[in-house]
Amino acid sequence: MTTAQPTLASDFWSRTRHSFLATVKRDGFGWLALVVLAMVILGPLYSVVLWAFAERWQYPSLVPTQFGLSFWEKTFSRADIAEALPFSIVLSLTVTALSALICLPASYAFARMRFRGRQVLLLSFLATNAFPRFGLYVSIAVIFFRLNLIGTVPGVILIQLVNTLLLMIWIPTSAFQGVDRSLEEAALDVGASPLRVFIQITLPMVMPALSAALLLTFVNTFYEAQGALLVGLPRVVTMPVLMYSLINSQLVVQYGAIISFVLWMPSLLLLLVAQRLLRGGYLTAGFGV
Amino acid sequence: MARLDIVQLTKQFGGVTAVDAAQFTVNDNEFMCILGPSGCGKSTLLRMVAGFEAPTSGDIRIDGETIAALPANKRPTAMVFQKYTLWPHMTVYDNIAFGLGLRRLSRSVIEQKVKEALELVSLSGYEARYPAQLSGGQQQRVALARAIVLEPKILLLDEPFSSLDAILRVRLREELKRIQRRLKITAIFVTHDQEEALSLADRIAVMSGGRIEQLDAPSTIYSTPSTLFVADFIGTMNLLQATAAGGELRVGDYRLPAPAGLKEGQVTVAIRPEDVVLGGEGTGWRGTVDQVMDLGHYRKIIAQIPGVGDVKIYLSKMPDVSEGAPITLNPQRWLVYQPDAALPLEYRRAGAVEAAV
Repeated sequence: MTTAQPTLASDFWSRTRHSFLATVKRDGFGWLALVVLAMVILGPLYSVVLWAFAERWQYPSLVPTQFGLSFWEKTFSRADIAEALPFSIVLSLTVTALSALICLPASYAFARMRFRGRQVLLLSFLATNAFPRFGLYVSIAVIFFRLNLIGTVPGVILIQLVNTLLLMIWIPTSAFQGVDRSLEEAALDVGASPLRVFIQITLPMVMPALSAALLLTFVNTFYEAQGALLVGLPRVVTMPVLMYSLINSQLVVQYGAIISFVLWMPSLLLLLVAQRLLRGGYLTAGFGV
Repeated sequence: MARLDIVQLTKQFGGVTAVDAAQFTVNDNEFMCILGPSGCGKSTLLRMVAGFEAPTSGDIRIDGETIAALPANKRPTAMVFQKYTLWPHMTVYDNIAFGLGLRRLSRSVIEQKVKEALELVSLSGYEARYPAQLSGGQQQRVALARAIVLEPKILLLDEPFSSLDAILRVRLREELKRIQRRLKITAIFVTHDQEEALSLADRIAVMSGGRIEQLDAPSTIYSTPSTLFVADFIGTMNLLQATAAGGELRVGDYRLPAPAGLKEGQVTVAIRPEDVVLGGEGTGWRGTVDQVMDLGHYRKIIAQIPGVGDVKIYLSKMPDVSEGAPITLNPQRWLVYQPDAALPLEYRRAGAVEAAV
């Protein structure tokens, strides 16, 4: 027994190494792609996370020379951050909700109705993304200035709404288009009212796409800085805007790292929740996954 | 369970008339097929009965009461669609129970009814499956169960089996017929498949270009099609150009007795392949055998008759005929179609003649 143990273990390792090498040989490109992707995606994350928990980090070392949480204390004892974080969350939720309120009925109309100028209108939402965003914001800011919207919360909400239109119109429109009309007719046929058909048949079928659109919109809005910077300052300060000014004014890498780390949390949590929702049971089973 | 009256029902899309003044009655317990080529308006007609299309004019009545103004969800009809229309996010049970739930029945009643419906379509035990886990034939059986569980006054079927393979189609057809007989349900079945219509229907309405060309029992439709379109559409038919003159039909160099009262002029003579026998010296049509096809239980021969054209013949028993050999034919029964003033582009049946044997 005692002599067999190490043999088994070394057997295991040699077999593992062998099969690993075989896989790499067989599917070399796939593995190469995985490694490159991991470096590209995880590399910056790795650096940010380490910086957030670093007291000191000098150049040649691969990991911080001293770990510690003192910068966390410094960061969260700042009044501006304690104010901006909850404000940013509420603001993003508000913008997402308003965007949904405006865009979801519109996308249903785009998907289900044939009206004059439908195609042009649908394409026009691309326009906001087709040009340098900042130029658009500057011209909007001029209008906002006349309307006294500069430095106000409604002003920031409006400019951030512009940002959300493309995603919140296009994704739900194609989702609604993907629901076969005869599925809705079949529900009408067995006696469901049009409202019930929408709630019990159409909506559940577009839910994965809708939640993806909502999630992306929230995350995009939460990270949006250009519009908020231009329209919001000096009175309205969101987290990303604050991060900009912190990094610009005082070159402490840890502040930036800690704020980015904190900024991830809401989207990471949402992503996990959404994944559970999309994985859980009926939706995926319904789509035959 | 109910009687359906279609009264001068018309549907126009833009300037196109999809259904042109359809008028017929489907009797209690009757299985009616609407048969026609694609684009003939048969589906539009059915969708008007279901409430998915609003008629341009005319009326739809169930047991004498108009339903034309009711929205689809208030009509006592239930439909089985051509496409698979089970709701993918619901189980088989929930799909069937959905309509029952809307009727505020108790849970135990719903359970009982769903169970019976699934038994009826031989899918007991499939309650917890999702549609994606079912085959096409099973999905359409669930769709049928979903429709009949509501005990509709009229069951509407819009080519429900057309996306299934041939063997399954025949099996489901037989199953449907059995269910319809057992439930004594009034049904309208739309199809472009004449075999389906002939085997299922109590009566068939043959449609073309938005109009109902003929509405009769399958055997009548087959034996005496009332228009040239129906003659051509149903089964195989030899259509031969002829001239009516002096009580006779001139088909090429040959003569056939004309039906009584036939106007003189150009006519079309229609002869079923099985209504032609070999032999008949003297008056027989002489030609050569062009093709012989052995179809198992019968043989199909195409004969070339100079001055007449190609004539198809079905024979169950025959002497061996080789291609290129001379042949003599003798039509036993023929139908004559003549232009009708009321139908400018259509030939209506002017009469049928049985040869004196």
